[in-house]
Amino acid sequence: MLKTFAELNFPGRLIAVEGLDGSGKSTQIYLLKRWLENQGLKVYFSEWNSSELVKSATSKGKKRELLTPTTFSLIHATDFADRYERHLLPLVRAGYLVLCDRYIFTAFARDTVRGCPPDWVRGIYNFAALPDLTFFFKADLEVSLNRILDGRPQLKYFEAGMDLRLSTDPYESFRIFQGRILELYLAMTREFNFQVIDANLGVEAQQAVVRQLVTNRIDLESFRLNGGGALPMRTSNQLKNKWRKELIAEPLLEDQEAHHH
Amino acid sequence: MAKRTHRGTLARRPGSASSLKSRVVLPRITQHRFFGHGVPGVDGAKLRGKLIVVEGADGSGRSTQIARLVDWLEANGHATVQVGLKRSTLVSPELEQAQEGNILSRTTLSLFYATDFADQLENIILPAMKAGFMVLADRYIYTLMARDLVRGMDEPWLKNLYGIAPVPDAVFYLQVAPEELVQRTFSKNAALDYWESGMDLGLSRDMFDSFLEYQSRMAHQFRRLQKIYGFTIVDGHRSVEEISQELTEKVDAVLVGKNSH
Repeated sequence: MLKTFAELNFPGRLIAVEGLDGSGKSTQIYLLKRWLENQGLKVYFSEWNSSELVKSATSKGKKRELLTPTTFSLIHATDFADRYERHLLPLVRAGYLVLCDRYIFTAFARDTVRGCPPDWVRGIYNFAALPDLTFFFKADLEVSLNRILDGRPQLKYFEAGMDLRLSTDPYESFRIFQGRILELYLAMTREFNFQVIDANLGVEAQQAVVRQLVTNRIDLESFRLNGGGALPMRTSNQLKNKWRKELIAEPLLEDQEAHHH
Repeated sequence: MAKRTHRGTLARRPGSASSLKSRVVLPRITQHRFFGHGVPGVDGAKLRGKLIVVEGADGSGRSTQIARLVDWLEANGHATVQVGLKRSTLVSPELEQAQEGNILSRTTLSLFYATDFADQLENIILPAMKAGFMVLADRYIYTLMARDLVRGMDEPWLKNLYGIAPVPDAVFYLQVAPEELVQRTFSKNAALDYWESGMDLGLSRDMFDSFLEYQSRMAHQFRRLQKIYGFTIVDGHRSVEEISQELTEKVDAVLVGKNSH
């Protein structure tokens, strides 16, 4: 598809964050979400790998280490498609600001590192429009690694990329795996116009940059829940009047019958 | 239920009656290729077994014919493995559950089926072929593609998705008129299946009409796919024995290295 939601003329906008585990992107998108909600804007948030429907299959596959690169890729694509078709797309069409913690670029990076052909992966996700704004949280590899390794030293099998047989040591495997993903993210930066945020900065400093960029790039006033300026998806008075008129001109059948009696 | 043994078929096979006792014909090993990139780390040249696909609607006689092929192959000393749609350990319970609720959008359903297929491909089909087994597939990517095409999915997208699949050694499509399928379904179940009637497409509120229309559309897509992929269309209106005879002869040809396409 390779068009943004704005280029498709949808009234909503989609903002995505990408980055390595431990880059602090989830914290940043959470703070962005809070800020937008506090302004009374229509906001929806969606996380990678969170579709209720697909979850049990994914966790079963991961727990039993049943996944191959191909099935790992496809099960995440299924999860994404479910969220995209049922939530992301309808909400953008209804004029929401949709925030995504990870988007298709996560799959482009991870699946490619796992050995799936890049054009196969991209082809699968080509039903999805591109985000209107993508933040890439770029931290030094060591900083991301330390954040993860300090916090929860028990690394999960797929998270550490153990399925790639990079090393028998989960920590060493994790380092190599994350390093390769970082390379792919960097290679995609220009192609997909990532807004690179220095994730080595403090939380507040990063959030200030994020809010500034969102303000510059998106007309936030038009996403207000109640009132506000020229709303792209607010039901116009003209449209409301049209429906009112139709209701008056063509009363329901039961109403007509009631008049006869 | 399919009868597991039909010695009559075996005896009728030219020149096989005596050779059955001891002589086992070694299958000719042929090169296998994939429709697209295939699966990471799998070399088509190492797939020594054969992949035989039987396609057709419910009630077209697929399982009966597969049971007969299995009997015949095993009687001739070949090891067999059977696969079919929605049989993977990874996602089949979830897929079943999702279908009951009919809550999946089309891309999601398509990817869910692709995940199920890929799981069986990597855990059963490819290892069995590497080990020199005869793999009998009760439906294959053609059914998955035809179903999605009837639902308006993008053909190049599907081709890319199923680029993971190996090209079978033989594909038989049991063609049966929709009107005949109705009769066969009712003689077994007294009810039409929701999905086999394409009720999700909203073709008709009437299940009978919907079934006929949906099955006609499926048959149309199969004829289109046949022109692209060149599989064998088998007249499924004939007797079980006649069809079995035809399939056995064609599989015999495949074993000695004469592919049906």
